[in-house]
Order: sequence, then C-alpha cells, then structure tokens
Amino acid sequence: MTTHGALSVIAGIQPGALPQLTELLGRIEATKEAADGIIPFTGMPDVHFARFVLLLNRTDVQGNVIPDSLSFVTDYDGSETAHLQQLISIGGQGLWQVFSYCANFPAGNYDAAKLQAYLLQHKQKNATFYVGVSGRSVQQIRNEQLLRDEIEQFADASQPLFAGKNPLAIRQQIIEHVFAMPAFGWAHSPEPGMSGGAAFAHWGKLVLVILLVLVLLPVWLPLLIIWVLIVLVQELRDRPRPNVVTKQHLRELTERETGMVQAQFSAVGNLKPGSVRLHTVTFLLGLTNFLAPYLFSKGKLSGIPTVHFARWLIIDDNRQMLFLSNYDGNSESYLRDFINIAAKQLTLLFSHTMGYPETRLMLFGGAAHAREFMDWARCYQTVSQVWYSANKNVSVKNIYTNSAIRNGLYGKPGEEEALKWLRLI
Amino acid sequence: MEIIEKEDIQGIIVKGYAHLPACKFVLLGMGSKQAAQQWLQLIAQNITRGSEKKPPAAVNLAFTYEGLKVLGLDGSSLDTFPLEFEDGMTTPHKQLFLGDFGNSAPDKWEWGGPQQTPVHALLMLYAPDETSLQLLYDMQRQHFAQFQLTEIKRLDTAVLGQRKEHFGFHDGIAQPTIKGLGKQDTPENTVAAGEFILGYKDAYNQYPDTPQVPLLQGKESSLPPAVKPGMLDFGKNGSYLVFRQMAQDVQVFWQYIESITMQDGKSDEQAMIQLAAKMVGRWPSGAPVSVCPDKDDTSMESRDDFGYRAVDSAGLRCPIGSHIRRTNPRDAMDASSSKSMEIANKHRILRRGRSYGKPVCDSLEPAEILRSKNFEGERGLYFICFNAAINRQFEFIQNAWVNNPKLLGLNHERDPLIGNNAHPDDAHQCGFFSVPANGLRRHYSNIPDFTTVKGGAYFFMPGLHALAYLAAR
Repeated sequence: MTTHGALSVIAGIQPGALPQLTELLGRIEATKEAADGIIPFTGMPDVHFARFVLLLNRTDVQGNVIPDSLSFVTDYDGSETAHLQQLISIGGQGLWQVFSYCANFPAGNYDAAKLQAYLLQHKQKNATFYVGVSGRSVQQIRNEQLLRDEIEQFADASQPLFAGKNPLAIRQQIIEHVFAMPAFGWAHSPEPGMSGGAAFAHWGKLVLVILLVLVLLPVWLPLLIIWVLIVLVQELRDRPRPNVVTKQHLRELTERETGMVQAQFSAVGNLKPGSVRLHTVTFLLGLTNFLAPYLFSKGKLSGIPTVHFARWLIIDDNRQMLFLSNYDGNSESYLRDFINIAAKQLTLLFSHTMGYPETRLMLFGGAAHAREFMDWARCYQTVSQVWYSANKNVSVKNIYTNSAIRNGLYGKPGEEEALKWLRLI
Repeated sequence: MEIIEKEDIQGIIVKGYAHLPACKFVLLGMGSKQAAQQWLQLIAQNITRGSEKKPPAAVNLAFTYEGLKVLGLDGSSLDTFPLEFEDGMTTPHKQLFLGDFGNSAPDKWEWGGPQQTPVHALLMLYAPDETSLQLLYDMQRQHFAQFQLTEIKRLDTAVLGQRKEHFGFHDGIAQPTIKGLGKQDTPENTVAAGEFILGYKDAYNQYPDTPQVPLLQGKESSLPPAVKPGMLDFGKNGSYLVFRQMAQDVQVFWQYIESITMQDGKSDEQAMIQLAAKMVGRWPSGAPVSVCPDKDDTSMESRDDFGYRAVDSAGLRCPIGSHIRRTNPRDAMDASSSKSMEIANKHRILRRGRSYGKPVCDSLEPAEILRSKNFEGERGLYFICFNAAINRQFEFIQNAWVNNPKLLGLNHERDPLIGNNAHPDDAHQCGFFSVPANGLRRHYSNIPDFTTVKGGAYFFMPGLHALAYLAAR
C-alpha cells in the first residue's frame, strides 16, 4: 500500500516568452512517451499522471488582469521528497528549459538544486485531492493488469483442459501456472494492506473528528444555519450571465481527446466575490479533502466510477479556482456523469465560481440545469498542453477487479468462493 | 401537457412507414441557391407530414450543413447549429470518436467521405411496392436537371422478410415511445419529445438547443419567434438525422460463428445460433436472451419491456458486452436500477433504418443462411436515426458504449457486431467477446469485422414551416 501525493506548481510566465514556451510544450507533448523525450515521463516509475496547463487571458471579477501563468502538476506515489528527486534526476533538463520561460527563474546553466528550490517555492497547496485508485502504486496497477492478461490468456488456451473440472481445480491450475512464472514473483503475496499503525491513525482521526463535531454541535449548528441563510441571500441576488462557448474553443478541447480509454479535464475560473463565498468554498473543499478517503475510498467520487485522480486549488490570491482531473471515457460522458449522478455534490463545490448555473442552498439547481451546466463547464475548461498517463489503457474499474483477481490467488476458498473468483476473470 | 405539432413535423420522424416497404434514398448535390429554392417551392407540397395517418406514399427531405449553406443561410444563422452538425462525421476527431478505422475509415467511404462530392440533401421516398416507388422516383427525378440537382448516389433498399436484418435477426424492436404522441407504453420506455424533436422539453426538462434565423424584411414567416428578439426558431419541429451505410458480411459472420462452435470437426447448428444470439442479445425471432435464456421463443419476438438487473446482473443470460445490452443498458448501469434507467433514457435514438442488398436467402433462417452459398454482392443496413442532440445521443452511444473497450468493467472488448477494433492505439486489432458463465467465462477472440461503414453524414430534417422559410428567403 502506498500513499499518494499531488504536486502543483504554478509560475508566472516571463513577458514575451509565451510563444517559445507554447512551442516547447508542444514538443514535450509529442515526445512524452519517448525514452529520449524532452521530459521522459515513462522513465519516472512513481508518476501516475502529469500535465502542463497554460493559464492565459484571465481577469478577476473586478476586471484586473491576472498575469499569464504556467501550471505543472503530477500525481505520484510516496513522499514528495522522493518524487522531486526522481522528477529532477530524470526530467530535470526538460523542466529547466520549461521554467526558464517563467518569472524569477535563476539565470545560468542547469542546476538541479536551484530547479528544486524553484519548484518548491512555486508549489501551491491543494484544497482538495481525490484519489480514485486507493493505495495502489503505478507499478502495482501495471503489474496487476499484466497478471490479469496472463491469466486470461492461460484460461483461454486451457479451455478444453478445464472442461468439466470443478472451480477449485481450475483455480489451482491457474495459480500453478502464474506462480511458475518468474515475472510474477511479486504476485506470491496478496495486495499490501494498510499497516496496523496506519489503519489506527486513519480511523482514529475520523473518530476523533466525529467526537469533536458531536461535542461542539450546540455551537456550530446555529452558526451553520445562519451561514447557510447568508449564502442563500447571496444566491437569490445572483444573476448568472449565460456562458458563451465558441465552436473553436470546443474543437480545441475535444480534438485533444485521442486516448482509447482515458481523458483529462482542466478548468479555471473566478470565485464569486466576497469573503462569504471564499470562506464557504475553502471550508467545503477542506471538508471534502478530509472526508474523501473515508467516503470515496472504493473508486467512486460521489458515485462517479471513472475518476483516477482529481484536485481543486484556490489560486491567485484567493481569486480563482483551478480544477484538474484524470478519468475514463471522454469529456462528454464525464460531464454527463456529473449531471446525471452527482449533480448536488458537485454543485456544493463548484457553485461558488462565476457563471455557475443558478443554485439554491448550494445543492439544488446548479448541475441539474443540464444545458447551462454544460456551457459553464466547457466555457471554463481549458486546454492541457501536455498530458501524460502512466497506465493509459487501464480503467478505474479494471484496477479494482485486477486486485481482486490477484487477491484470489491466496488462501483456501470454498467452491462457492472459487466460482466467484473465476467469474472475475 | 405539450401539444406536438404533428402537421409541421415530417412524417418519417413520427413513424417508420412500415406499410410502405419499398423505399429509396437519394443523395443530392444542389447547384445554386435560386434553383434549389425553386425546387423546394415545388416539392414542399409533396412532403409527407406526421399528421398523415397512413399516407399512400411518402416523401421526406433533409439537408447537410453544406446544403443549408447553398440554400443561403447566413453565417450567423449557420453558427447556431451545433458543432457536430457543422463538422460532420469525417474530421480526424470524429473518426476517432466514432471509431471509423481500418476498412471503415472515411477516406475509403463510397459517399460522404472527405474527398468526395459534398452531399447537400437527402431525399427519402417510400411507396407500397417497387412499381409505385419507381413512379414516385421518376416523378422526382424529372425535376433534377431543371433545378440544377445532381444525383450523387441513389441508395436502393431491399425488403427482408419478417422484419429481419441480413444476419437473420428480427431488427428494430426497441424503439422509444415519444411522450405526447398518443401511443401508450411503459413509463420506462416513454421518452420526452424533446429528445427527438426540437421545440419540446427533453429528458432534462429543458428545451434542446435550436438553430435560429433572422426574420427577413418584407417577408412573412410562419416560424415561431425565437427567444432572441428579431429571430425565428428555425429548429422547431425539426430533428437531426444520422445516416450511416453499414455493409454486413453475412458470410464472415456465420463462418466465424461456425468455426468457433465446431465440435469434433462438425458444425453444431444449435451452438451456432446460441452464440450468435448471445452476441446480439436477442434470438433470431427477436426474443430477448435475458428473458428466454435457453432457446428461441417466437411468442416473445417483440418483447421489449424487460430489464437486466433483477435476473441477469452478471450477464449469465445476456452478456454485458452483447449488442443490445451495450447500446441500451437499461437498468444495468453502475447506479441504482431506477437511476440507471433514467440515465440510459438520456441516450436514446429513434431508429428508421432500412436494409439494402439481396438477402442470402428468403427465409433468413440461420439454418438456411448457413446452407446457402449465395453470398455474392454487397448487402447491409442504411442505419438512420433521429435525435435532438447528436453528441449526447448517437455519438455518445457510438463512443461511450459501442466502442468502449472498458464498458461497465469489461477488460477489453467492443460491440461484437458493429464495434471497430482497428483503433490505432489498440495492440490487438481484432474483436473479443466474453460470455459469462457460472465459473470461468467463455472468451472469444480474433473476431473479424462483421460490418464496414461505407458512407454517412449528419442531416437536419426541418419542420414544414422551416422548409417554407428556406424556400422563400
């Protein structure tokens, strides 16, 4: 079992450097899977997803120009220190080239330490980080898919051999076949679980918070009611302007969706003005961040079964929200999932941004206004200039089934259990 | 309750003209705005309306984006049509999205491809028999030269017995019932009119996006006003028509099924029909496999009020990857049963396709198809469907369901009948199909293409008032 991190780096772009930077990002995208690429992501064993997104042509609610920026984000296994080390030792030269177009970047020749310092200096805090793959590493996801493919092939080839055999015998033959292959040496033990101490900390934290919430109920409940009423008054005053989506913008977004299994979504927009909205969204994102590992631990984000990783950030002096996600399917089906399955939950988080369809009590309306929601989402969606996925042909559903197949290789199941296991294949 | 203006809706949207089995589709190019408008003025009175009960013959008409351009719609009006309609089905993105690779790639199409003469209009002709159809066609054709119309391609259809398609299966059973058109059906299969006809509320209880045109100075129009002042609702009572010519390789289909089910070198007819039925999701008669798991039952041939969740959630009867379960998962998606039904119904289409080419044999009984060696020539389906949002309905079904190798937890397989396995990122380049069993599933591999896309385009079929607007402007 591994922990996951989400690195978010945002840096201003030097005046006049945008054309060269855009061109460089184009080359990075084109060579992202090559061993000798400018940033050879495939050589970084701990990176699930990575992307570069240019944040351009932005003005805040007051009409002030927000300087053009570059965001660079990764979803990785393990500690941030180890991740930065890997990132720089493998992709340092490329990252140096990229960030040399950014503001306040150190002059001179390549210097790993300076690069690391720059990345850390421009690191932004994620308000919410959602993990859909539970404690699985890049390597585990890859290996377990290979294991499943091998078992499938063996089962297909052995069809005549298996005829008439009972499920326990078939299972035994599959196990013997897999365990005889040195490549699957790692599969001799089940999926690593949470250590006793980690599990204690994980659940202990929840229990503690629940106790605290219960004890303080008389204090926060009246406050909450007043707070919600204040937001309601603001909602009643809100007159969202229609979002105009041009066809050219839509084409630029969808033409980049070329993956067979996965796609990505990047969106940036202004928060509604005022401290009430800011505090509300900060609190709700914080709450989601805390509860997600408990509520959405089985690969479903509010019931949406396709999201690998997602994150929300409040950026540019609390003026804007940045949302980035990696999922299965295409953006049309992804946004439809939002509306059809999780309208209320997502309205709760997104209704504090400008242009969001009319809401009541932060739950009602919103994404339920399907057409206005689609326009809002497409309007604030922005192009991801570079997008990399380490296991690009594996769906979230596959990841969970593959682990279940692996875990079924151990123990002494009864016939019924063995049958159930065989059905997973 | 909304009143549906059947007299303004073209007839083929309202019904499939089952009583008019003879039919031809004519793909037309239009020479000039003026000539095309004169033709429209002439033909307008012949257009069959949805209010006609059982018309003795029928004529319907639809246009591509390019066609509307020739008819003189200005840039800002054209811009109110959706992106999918403007871009068509053959851009590199659409090729990827719809999965038209390999032999189905648009550059190999016989019509509608990127290098071919652009299609402007689709003229649909229906009659009770071939003789009257020929008369109807000749009557139409005599105007072509006069109004600078070019016949790009004439698509003749074939009448197959017992409403079957060429592989030998009863087709066209599952059709949504349009709310407000008077027909009674189960609530699960009754779908808001705005899913198929513009100007009415859709499944989200909203009005679908509708194209708008300016009110022309000095000209009257019976089109209703649009929300925007000075504009008219051009889309009212219209619908988007998706046309795909899909060739079916009956020989390859049944030979594959035969070879894979052979027992000791001998064909096993029963096993063949069983496997083919699992791929389709219905038996040759049309009886759903999830209702009749063991054998065909002609008393169930039109049965459509069934779900998967209660009796078949694992796909032991009807495999998850089968054609009809993929293209309409009903109550079996990854959500509660009622939620799933509600979601599935937001991706329905109204099918109006017809077959073409000589059937392998008249009975289209699998046994006789197998014995027949009469595979010469091309045959297939002119797939035609209506929807109000091409991207949410037809394209969604094609992309998120038919060609999604990961649908509902599957590991790697696409629709066994119409899926395309030539995606450039796919290492396998062949089809797979798993049949769940009580224990280890049966997994079929090396499935060849049974269907090939040969042409296609997106059309808009305007209401009668909108046709009059086009003719008069």
